[in-house]
Amino acid sequence: MSEALVTIRHLSHTYLAGTLLAEEALCDASLDVARGEIAALIGAGGAGKSTLAHFLNGLLRPVERGRVVAFGQDLAVHNVDLAALRRRVGLVFQYPHQQLFERFVGDDVAYGPCQLGLPRDEVRERVRVAMEQVGLPFEAFKDRQTFALSGGEQRRAALAGVLALRPELLVLDEATTGLDPRGRREVHDLLRRLRDDEGVSVLVISNDMDEVAELAERVTVLFEGRTVLAGEVHEVLSQHEALAEAGLGLPTVGEVVRALADAGITLPGRPITAREAEEALWQTLRS
Amino acid sequence: MANAAFLRHVAIGRYIPTDSLVHRLDPRTKLLALALLVAAAVVAADYINSVFVLFATVVVVVLARLPAGQAVAAVRSVLPLVAILAVLQLLVGGRGATAGGTQLLSWGFIRVTSSSVQLVIVLTLRLISLVILAGLLTSTTTPGALTMGVERLLRPFGALGLPSHEIALMGAIALRFLPILGEQMEAIVLAQDARGVGQPAGRWRVLANAQRMAALVVPLFADVYRRAEEMAMAMLARCYRGGRGRTSLYELRYRPADAGAFAFALLVLGGAIVLGTAGVP
Repeated sequence: MSEALVTIRHLSHTYLAGTLLAEEALCDASLDVARGEIAALIGAGGAGKSTLAHFLNGLLRPVERGRVVAFGQDLAVHNVDLAALRRRVGLVFQYPHQQLFERFVGDDVAYGPCQLGLPRDEVRERVRVAMEQVGLPFEAFKDRQTFALSGGEQRRAALAGVLALRPELLVLDEATTGLDPRGRREVHDLLRRLRDDEGVSVLVISNDMDEVAELAERVTVLFEGRTVLAGEVHEVLSQHEALAEAGLGLPTVGEVVRALADAGITLPGRPITAREAEEALWQTLRS
Repeated sequence: MANAAFLRHVAIGRYIPTDSLVHRLDPRTKLLALALLVAAAVVAADYINSVFVLFATVVVVVLARLPAGQAVAAVRSVLPLVAILAVLQLLVGGRGATAGGTQLLSWGFIRVTSSSVQLVIVLTLRLISLVILAGLLTSTTTPGALTMGVERLLRPFGALGLPSHEIALMGAIALRFLPILGEQMEAIVLAQDARGVGQPAGRWRVLANAQRMAALVVPLFADVYRRAEEMAMAMLARCYRGGRGRTSLYELRYRPADAGAFAFALLVLGGAIVLGTAGVP
């Protein structure tokens, strides 16, 4: 494996610890993200995915057991340079309407670069590039009101706001939920492009197994605050029983492959996406 | 904001299910007893009865088995306000209503007298009692029970055309929205933090924080309006038509403990009055 960007080991976290409202969100979570990969963090609702994501850029800090090392910095240390860390880890939150806080789309996307203290021209350029990248034409959208955007547009705007920071690690918390199929494909293409052209590492947080099969190279499965499975995507997504136990299922293609296997037709190479299945089917049919 | 869950935490008066004696009281009893205790806190104007009311308040907190930290946190959150009030009162009060007593200090327009010192201390104790009392009702009563209590208490006024059910419902919705507002604010703070602002540091920190608060207000209200609209739609979609002819699964009933609670509240109010008159020189 190449250089590790983020290493989380045996992390636990309880919200409102010490009060009657205490809620254990993580109890033994581990996660690795390596430079230049697209990784996925999956888990059923309430498994602690979002909580874990908040640790990645120091929004939450290790206060209980566990270790979080991000970009070579141990976050347990008191004087971590959080601003620097947050510049390198871009976090797109689950609910887009909660992370757009400026009145106009252009201003909102510019918030991060402005915080960096960049000169005006540079900010404008970054905003333009980021908005074009997510498919919101700069001229048409910069003066639109954020609250009047559609759900899908809000998602794109939120993503642009983080991209404008030019992060080295992009973390997307269910970032394609609510997008139509084309919007989803565009975001997927964008993520691959960012990785291939600019070397951005990506962590996708999702419970959409098809999306994960499509995008990710490595997968970590979280269940009730615990990391239960981790590994290469084909390896993890073929473990039907373990996934079911974690409240998840197989990708659609995986279900079909499994049904075929039950019927006595075994496809080569554990296909999990439509393209892989197509190839495997051709191979089987030809032989 | 090292730990943004803090924002949710300070929402004073979130329901805390400890199932204590106080929790099991009839909501009507709690509402009326609270009114009596608040009256006692307001009546108390001397050291001795202010301390007495504060003590009674603490007794209720203990009886309700609420975590002490919660009450302390609630008090701590209003301390700045109390401090500002106290200083103002101390500096300028000596010239006005509390000009009596012996003069302790006089400098320019500032005049500190023994009675203004007393007023400041009493005021502080009173505010602390009131803050704790304010949280007591909602942390021991579920919004549902509270709504029902208010509705039943207001029902006699229905003859005069007072829509008791609607008023109670409005109150309940307002209460319900408080923690939601807290969570919403938390989300926005997180989103701002995530995009590159670390902890503002240095001498302009106060200013930077104030600026941030201002930046919070617009998205917060936009979201509240959206939620309110959605809620109204959801109520209409489920054929909500007000309280007329509505029955409820749980009926309210007074029990012996309620009589005890009333007796306690009356005792505190009586004590505050009696101790007050006795204490006047």
